[in-house]
Amino acid sequence: MANKHLFSSYDLLPKTWDEMYNDSSVFRTQYEEFIKYLEKTSPEKLSKKEDLSKQLFMSQGVTFTVYSDNEGIEKIFPFDIVPRIITSKEWTKIESGIKQRLKALNLFIKDIYNEQFIIKDGIIPGELIYSCPNFLREMKGVKVPYDVYVHISGVDLIRNNDGEFYVLEDNLRTPSGVSYMLENREISKRLFPGILPKSNVRSVSNYPNMLYKKLKELSNKTNPNIVLLTPGIYNSAYYEHTTLARLMGIELVEGSDLVVKNHFVYMKTTNGLKQVDIIYRRVDDDFLDPLEFNAKSVLGVAGIMAAYRKGHVNIVNAPGTGIADDKAIYIYVPDMIKYYLDEEPILKNIETYQLGRPDELEYVTKNIKDMVIKKTDGSGGYGMLMGHEATDEEIKDYLETVKKKPENFIAQPILRLSTAPCYIDGKLSPRCIDLRPFALSGRDGIDICPGGLTRVALKKGSLVVNSSQGGGSKDTWVIE
Amino acid sequence: MLSRVANNLIWLDRYMERGNGILSLLKVNYYANQDSPELFSWTPIMKTFTTYDNEFYTEDALECIDFMIFNTGNSNSILNIVTKARENARSVQEHISRELWLCINNYYLYLTNKDLPRKLEEDPVQFLEDLRKHHLIYFGTADITQERGPSYYFMNVGKFLERVILISDFTSLKLVDIGNTSDSLEKSFYWKNLLLSVGGYQLYLKTHKSTFNEEHVIRMVFQDKLFPRSVYYCINKLSGYIDQLIEANELEKNNIDFLLGKLESTIKYTTIDNINNQGLEHFISDIKEDIRNISLNINAVYFSQNN
Repeated sequence: MANKHLFSSYDLLPKTWDEMYNDSSVFRTQYEEFIKYLEKTSPEKLSKKEDLSKQLFMSQGVTFTVYSDNEGIEKIFPFDIVPRIITSKEWTKIESGIKQRLKALNLFIKDIYNEQFIIKDGIIPGELIYSCPNFLREMKGVKVPYDVYVHISGVDLIRNNDGEFYVLEDNLRTPSGVSYMLENREISKRLFPGILPKSNVRSVSNYPNMLYKKLKELSNKTNPNIVLLTPGIYNSAYYEHTTLARLMGIELVEGSDLVVKNHFVYMKTTNGLKQVDIIYRRVDDDFLDPLEFNAKSVLGVAGIMAAYRKGHVNIVNAPGTGIADDKAIYIYVPDMIKYYLDEEPILKNIETYQLGRPDELEYVTKNIKDMVIKKTDGSGGYGMLMGHEATDEEIKDYLETVKKKPENFIAQPILRLSTAPCYIDGKLSPRCIDLRPFALSGRDGIDICPGGLTRVALKKGSLVVNSSQGGGSKDTWVIE
Repeated sequence: MLSRVANNLIWLDRYMERGNGILSLLKVNYYANQDSPELFSWTPIMKTFTTYDNEFYTEDALECIDFMIFNTGNSNSILNIVTKARENARSVQEHISRELWLCINNYYLYLTNKDLPRKLEEDPVQFLEDLRKHHLIYFGTADITQERGPSYYFMNVGKFLERVILISDFTSLKLVDIGNTSDSLEKSFYWKNLLLSVGGYQLYLKTHKSTFNEEHVIRMVFQDKLFPRSVYYCINKLSGYIDQLIEANELEKNNIDFLLGKLESTIKYTTIDNINNQGLEHFISDIKEDIRNISLNINAVYFSQNN
C-alpha cells in the first residue's frame, strides 16, 4: 500500500450522493478496480500524471483562447485525472431515458412548426411558444428531411441525492464538448496503461464515424458533400470544430467560404464552385443567414435559409430547435412524453416553478434561500441567482428584475449534485459533477455514445460546473 | 480544395521558410559579427527583415537577436511568424498530416516557454540552432507524412516562392556592402558570408575549393541546377508544382506558367558576362519583379473565386 493518505480528507457533503462511497462509506463496486490502482500508485506518480495530462492537452493543441486587451491567452479546459465511473445498469436507464426524451422533443418541434396539435389540445399554452425568442417563424411549414430536427444533442443530467438521474437541460442547438469526451479518453489511455481494458470500459472512439454516418444518411446522393460550418478561430469551441472535421474527413468551412446561387449552396474552391449538400453548422440560428435573421452577421451565409426551405441543402441541427430546449418549455417535457408517446418519463425533470404564475412566484419568494432562479433563455450559468449564496440585497435586486417580466424566469430547488472523487493537492476530494451524454438521431433511430462529458465544479462546495466559471471535466467510463 | 485553405497552405510554408531563412542569417551574422563587427553589423539585417516602420536598431548582438526572435511588435519576429504559421495550420488541420500539426504546435509551445529567452544568453548559437531544428523537423515531417496532392503542392509553392525572395534579399543585402568596398579580401568575406547564409558554403568548397571567385558564387547561388537553395532550383521546383496544380485543375493557367517558364529560361540562359554587364543588382531586381507578378497571379486565382 503506497498511498494511504489518499482518502484521509475525503469529506462527504451532507445529503449528497457520492459516486465512489455508498451510505456506509464503502466503495461502490464500479470503483473498486480503479481504487486498487490508485492505492498502489505513489502520490508523486499521481501528481506527475496530472502534469502529464496538462502537457498532453497543450501539445495536442486542445485549447481555447480567451481574448483580453487584444491579446489571446490560450487555456486548457481543466481536467481531473480520476475518471467518473458509471455501471452498465445505470447507463441502460440513462440511454433509454434520453432516447425517449429526444423522440418526444423531436415530435414536439415538428408539431410546433406544423399542425400545432399540442397547443390545440391545450397541453402547452400557445402564448408561451410565440413569446419564446427561440421560436423561428421562418421554420413554419418547412419540410425537414426524414422529419429529423435534432440530429445532435447533449442532454445535461445530474444525479440527485436519491441516486436517480434527473434532466437539467436539453441542449438541442449546437451542444459542444464532445471533443473533450474523445480527448479525455485518449489522455486516460496514456495516464493509466492497461486499466481501461481491465475495467471493461466501453469505447467512445466511434463517435465521429457514427456522426458521419448519420449525416450521410440524410442525403440521397452516394457521396454527398458534407461540411462543418464554424464561426471561425475566435470561437471558444474552434478546437472542437477542427477535430470533428478532421476525424470525419470533411471540410471545415467558414461563412465566407460559402455562397448561395439559384438557391443552391456552394463552397468556393480552387477549381470553382462546388455544391454543398449537408451542413453541420456550429453557428447559432441568429447568425445563420443575414437575410433572415441578424442582418449584421458575417458568420453565416446570405440566402442559406431559402436554399434550405427548397430542400437543396440540409442544415444540422435544423434551425428553430431552440424552441424545445428553452427553460420555459422544459417544464412541459414530461407532458410531451405522455402526449406524443403515451409513456411515463424514464428520466425525471427537476421540479420547476414558473414565476409567471403568481402562486408559484409567491412560493419561490418565500423559499428563496433554497432556490435557484434562472432566465428562461439564458445559458452558460450566467444570469442565475443562487438563493443560498446570495445576500439579502442581491435577492432584493434580482426579484425586482423578475417582477418586470416574471414569465422570463423559472426557479428550481437548489440541487444536491452528486459528488465524485477528484485528485486535488495530492489527495482525493469530493466535487460536484454533472453528465452530458451525446446522442445522435438520424434516419433510423437514435444512438448514444456510451460515455459523455462529466463536468466538475473544481471549487470546493461549488455547484457551477460551467467551464466559463471554474469548471473542469473528467473522463467518463461506462463499464460492462 | 477551398480557396481559403489553399491560401492558408501557401502561407503556412512561406512563414516556415521565412523563419528558417532569418534564423540562419542571424546565426551566420552572429559568428561574423563576433569576428569583425565593422564588416558585419546588425542594422542592415534589422532594416531588411523587420516591419517597414520599425525604428528600433541596435548593434548589440543579444539585443538584436532577442528583438528578431521574440518582439511581438516586429511582425517578422520568429515568434510572430510561427504564431501565424500555426494559425494557418490550425485552420487547415484536416488537410495536413496530424504529425505536421503536432510539430508546429510544439514549436509554438517551445517558443512561448518562459524559460527560453534565458537560453539566448547562455549560448546564442545553440539557441538559434535549436530553433532552426524545428524548421528542419517541419520540412522533414511534411516530406514524409504529407500525401502528394494539392495540399502538398500548394505548401511547396509557398516554400519555394519564399525561398527565392529570401535568396534575392540576402544577396541584395550583401551587394550593398560589396559595393562599398574596394578591398578584394573584404569582398571575399561578404561572398563567403552570403554562401553561409544560404547554406551553400560547404558545396562551394567541395566544388571550387577555398578560392573566392565572384562569378562562381553568383553561378552557384543563381544558376546551379542541383543546389536546393539556388534561385534556378527553386524556380524549377515552383514551376513543377504549379504545373501539377494546373493539371489537377486546382489552378487556372492565367499566365502563371508562361511567367514561370520565361523566368526559368532567363536565369538558365543569362551568361555571367551578361549579368555583369547589366549589374547583379539589376538582374536580381528583375527576378524579384517576376516573382512578384507570379505571386500576384496566384493570389488573383484565389481572389477571383472569392467574390
